Amino acid sequence: MNGTQTILSARGLSKHYGGVVALDAVDLELRQGEVLAVVGDNGAGKSTLIKALTGAISKTAGRVEMDGEEVVINSPSDAKRAGIETVYQDLALVNELSITKNMFLGREIRRNDVFGRLFGALDFAKMDSEIRALFQKLDIRIADIYREAEAFSGGQRQAVALAKTVMFGKRIAILDEPTAALGVRESKMAMDLVRSLKDHGLSVIMITHNMQHVMNYCDRVMVLRLGRLAAVRDVKDVDGDTLVGLITGATEGRAA
Amino acid sequence: MTHTGDNSSTQISTPTATSSGFDVLRHQFQQIWQVLAALVLIYLVFFVLSEPFRSLDTLLSIFGQASILAILACGTTVVLISGGLDLSVGSIFAVVGVVVGIMLAEYQLPVPLAVVIGLLAGAGMGALNGTIQVLTKVPAFIVTLGGLTAYKGIAEILASGRDLSRFPDSFQMLGSGYMVPMGIMFAVALVTGLFLAKTQLGNHAYAIGGNEEVARLSGVNVRKSRIYYYMIGGALAATAAILEVSKLNFAMPARGQSYELFAIAAVVIGGTSLFGGRGGVGKTLIGMLIMQTIIVGLSYLGVGTSVQRIAIGIIIILAVYWDVWKRPAR
Repeated sequence: MNGTQTILSARGLSKHYGGVVALDAVDLELRQGEVLAVVGDNGAGKSTLIKALTGAISKTAGRVEMDGEEVVINSPSDAKRAGIETVYQDLALVNELSITKNMFLGREIRRNDVFGRLFGALDFAKMDSEIRALFQKLDIRIADIYREAEAFSGGQRQAVALAKTVMFGKRIAILDEPTAALGVRESKMAMDLVRSLKDHGLSVIMITHNMQHVMNYCDRVMVLRLGRLAAVRDVKDVDGDTLVGLITGATEGRAA
Repeated sequence: MTHTGDNSSTQISTPTATSSGFDVLRHQFQQIWQVLAALVLIYLVFFVLSEPFRSLDTLLSIFGQASILAILACGTTVVLISGGLDLSVGSIFAVVGVVVGIMLAEYQLPVPLAVVIGLLAGAGMGALNGTIQVLTKVPAFIVTLGGLTAYKGIAEILASGRDLSRFPDSFQMLGSGYMVPMGIMFAVALVTGLFLAKTQLGNHAYAIGGNEEVARLSGVNVRKSRIYYYMIGGALAATAAILEVSKLNFAMPARGQSYELFAIAAVVIGGTSLFGGRGGVGKTLIGMLIMQTIIVGLSYLGVGTSVQRIAIGIIIILAVYWDVWKRPAR
């Protein structure tokens, strides 16, 4: 962690569905170079929080600042423009598309010629070579990148999704349960990739249910309960039991 | 290429050096060889059963008769890949036929201008279908079912009291014989195929049809893209209509009836998924040729059109059965 400089802060994020309050005035602060865990029981508002933060759903209220200046994020494209790359749970890859096409979906490289300019013809050779270079750097061993994503295992797919955040995330990576549905070995591999995001200069927000991952890979942890912020702690100041207590409400936290 | 990590990682470790353009081609061929084999097999069956079927002329007539519907079906392919559906293309076909007929017979416009107006009319009606869906979120099935009857009505109003026939010779050339429509069919298939495989908008059709939400979250402009796919479907329906009006040398609003269903049938028989995300125009051409081969072959065997329809119906169901249940498990 390099210091405590705040890169992103959100104030009073709320999301109401009709009369149902899914997210109730939650504050969030992300510091430069840290991995911030977001934990909470099912329905605590974790996914709603990151979806509201990244423009995947429209927020009812709230203000987001980066480097102290307000940024307006009303769509996933807005978030990407601000340098925020997100891996949504179960919504990271299109099964029917090749690894190359998935990696560059929405940000394809066009050919630098008349076909590219007039018809949007794509430069697959260039995209392929960029992916191969990146995969080598991250030690992701997927050779047949022209094959459809559905042909790969959960761990491989998650690796691809995380590689996408390295390729395009300029500042912040937001991950919704990067190890959900992964086996033990695949989880470790995914978490090592999460750690390498940090090495690539990204600050990370990660939703997780795995307390071990919080303790081993994260710097701070925020606990959501029933749509509200229940507590924020430095990971070094808590243990797993305390966290579980905060999640279930057995321990009353104070948002610090 | 070398890797630095340990080999116990769960990543597959095929050496990257072996994957090449050849692998990509082989991969694509693996997806198409089954329908291609089916086409050849069906052709051979009729080849054995019927003496007159064995001529080059018959083969050419299969291509020739397939060509107009195949052009329309290329548009249907794009729409279905993107997860959409357009039931109104048969009626768009009727409107465009009548519009081009009026431009030529009544206003005596130059042929190229009449053709362009026809194409724009088709693209416009397709775009309208897409726009209504995107704005109202009414399902494609309903919006284009509405279009099916509404556009048909427009064609009838436009055509009433008009004699739309006897067009200039230069226009009649477009659809005459087998060779010109066949050439246009291959050109349309090539351009549409390149569009789907090589361009950004084409690639987004697969992404949106595969998983619309992932596409949206990836920053794809789903709504705008959808409108374009329907526009392409409409423009290709218009292309087919112009060829048919030229071939028949008259236009009437009854033309194009059920063409949308034949097109969908060809697309599905070819192996493009009805549920979006997979497929291509090469498959659709093969699907259309399979249908035409069966129709022509059965008539050579003296089987009437009613039984031909039953046969096609069974094949459509089998094709979807294959799509849903027999897809190799991944």
